[in-house]
Amino acid sequence: MKKSKKYKTFRAIMLSIYLIAAIIPIYWIILTSLKVPSDLYAYPIIYFPKVLTLSNYSYLFSFAHFSIYFKNSLLLSAISSIISTLLSIFSGYALARYNFKLKDLVIGLLFFSQMIPAYLLMVPQYSMFSNLGLINSLTALGILYVNIAAAFSTIMARGFFVRIPRSLEEAAMIDGCSKIGALFRITVPLAMPGIAAIFSFSFINDWNELFTAALFLNSDDKYTIPVALYSFISKAGIQWGVLSAGLVVALIPTIIVFAFMQRFIISGLTQGALKE
Amino acid sequence: MVRLLERRVLHVRRGARSAPLFIFWMILPVILIISIFTFYPTVNGIILAFENYSVFNFSNIHFVGLKNFNKILGDPLFWTALWNTLWWIILSVAFQFVLGFGLALLMREPFKGRGIYAGLVFYPWALSGFAIGILWSWLLNGQFGFVNDILMKLHIISQGVNFLSDPSWAFFSVILVNVWYGIPFFAIMLLAALQSIPEELYESAQIDGAGTFSRFFHVTIPYVSSTIFATLLLRVIWVMNFPDVIYGMTRGGPGGTTNILATYMINIVYYKSDYSLASAVGVFIITILTVYAIFYLQLTSKHGSGEF
Repeated sequence: MKKSKKYKTFRAIMLSIYLIAAIIPIYWIILTSLKVPSDLYAYPIIYFPKVLTLSNYSYLFSFAHFSIYFKNSLLLSAISSIISTLLSIFSGYALARYNFKLKDLVIGLLFFSQMIPAYLLMVPQYSMFSNLGLINSLTALGILYVNIAAAFSTIMARGFFVRIPRSLEEAAMIDGCSKIGALFRITVPLAMPGIAAIFSFSFINDWNELFTAALFLNSDDKYTIPVALYSFISKAGIQWGVLSAGLVVALIPTIIVFAFMQRFIISGLTQGALKE
Repeated sequence: MVRLLERRVLHVRRGARSAPLFIFWMILPVILIISIFTFYPTVNGIILAFENYSVFNFSNIHFVGLKNFNKILGDPLFWTALWNTLWWIILSVAFQFVLGFGLALLMREPFKGRGIYAGLVFYPWALSGFAIGILWSWLLNGQFGFVNDILMKLHIISQGVNFLSDPSWAFFSVILVNVWYGIPFFAIMLLAALQSIPEELYESAQIDGAGTFSRFFHVTIPYVSSTIFATLLLRVIWVMNFPDVIYGMTRGGPGGTTNILATYMINIVYYKSDYSLASAVGVFIITILTVYAIFYLQLTSKHGSGEF
């Protein structure tokens, strides 16, 4: 479609408004994390400070053990989201390719699981895990994160697999490929954009999860980043400089994962290339 | 024809009987995990709602009938939270959707630096709701906040507004932040859907003399409608169960004016430690969402749920 010059100007203005609204908060938080304490609460507000400092960041990593939280969060999120993505590939594929008696019930239950508020589950989950002696355990939390992601990932994976022509797999199977072989050699590579989206989505959710982690983790060496950030504000008053630095550090891995994923979305590969 | 032949070959080679077992093993892990860690605790949580389990009463737990539900229905804070939940969902989702769809439409045709632009405008999606809440409570701070300062510099207000502690502003503020947070979700989903629309559809519509609006309503909307229905369904469910932003900003205060059912429930757990009472609120939430989902799916079933 050809677009007029008028439209292009309109688009440029609108895109700029969206951009400003999106980046001002993050600019402000980065600025806050770099300000010296005297500038932080200065009035009138300082927009372009003359002195910048990294002291908030060094505080995070020296006094607040942020490197431990970072490692905990990274391992927990990466492992949980890889497992939930893998499991959703299996279940999503079966739901996309086969018809069976209880299929509608299974899909219905997957949707229903999305409606249950996390706080209804937490007390029963907590007593389950405390009976197993698995409180204050990152493994237990990982299992719960796989559980949180499994249903939605399956629903998404099914959606992506449905769009991939069945004929390609069938051809591979006639050539001697097993069902699992056909899935991983033919279907998964074709659905890679969708699978990347599922993985990123799970990773970001796990990385950011606060309420379950805050309930299940109670010692400093097990904390994840959201729990640590939460502890910064529950103590008397909020140290805005340190908290801002923590927010900035917490943002880095999700931005990397996000950049990786949005390449797939922007390229338009998600759906268009795969029409039967 | 060829595909039919292939299917027959397949049928002969693999044998139709091996499929049920294969399906079973493929689905089993997910079903098992969700059954043990979601549905089993859900049943227990619902049972809890009819008992008297709290931090002050661990030993003498017994069935108390509808006592918890009556207690909640008699709490004015519950009614505020329920009413707020309705507005929270309607306003948040409506503005997230409209602004997100608008952004997707603006971004659908390539322009220079679109990848970088997408990264800069979509990043809120990668932040945690709680972090967003904290971040914005700093921006909206009554004394040192960016928003107040800008509004005063522009002479829109003459003195600082306490966005989060003034009851007449607080609820408006948390909704505004939730809208800001949710725009990228709709933009990403709808952009992906928009990019799959074949260009030929627009060309033939243009030949038929369709104008911009007509093309939008007769080509674009029908093509992405399944994405729209699916994302709206899920978004309403998520936003209802999404206390994170509010918790980062106000914890439901001042005086319960920014409570939605989800934060009301959390506050019962944190401040009263009455787990049975909190579970009763959870049962309300599940009931409302189930009724909504059934109603919604009935209403939209003719459009199919192919997207998900």
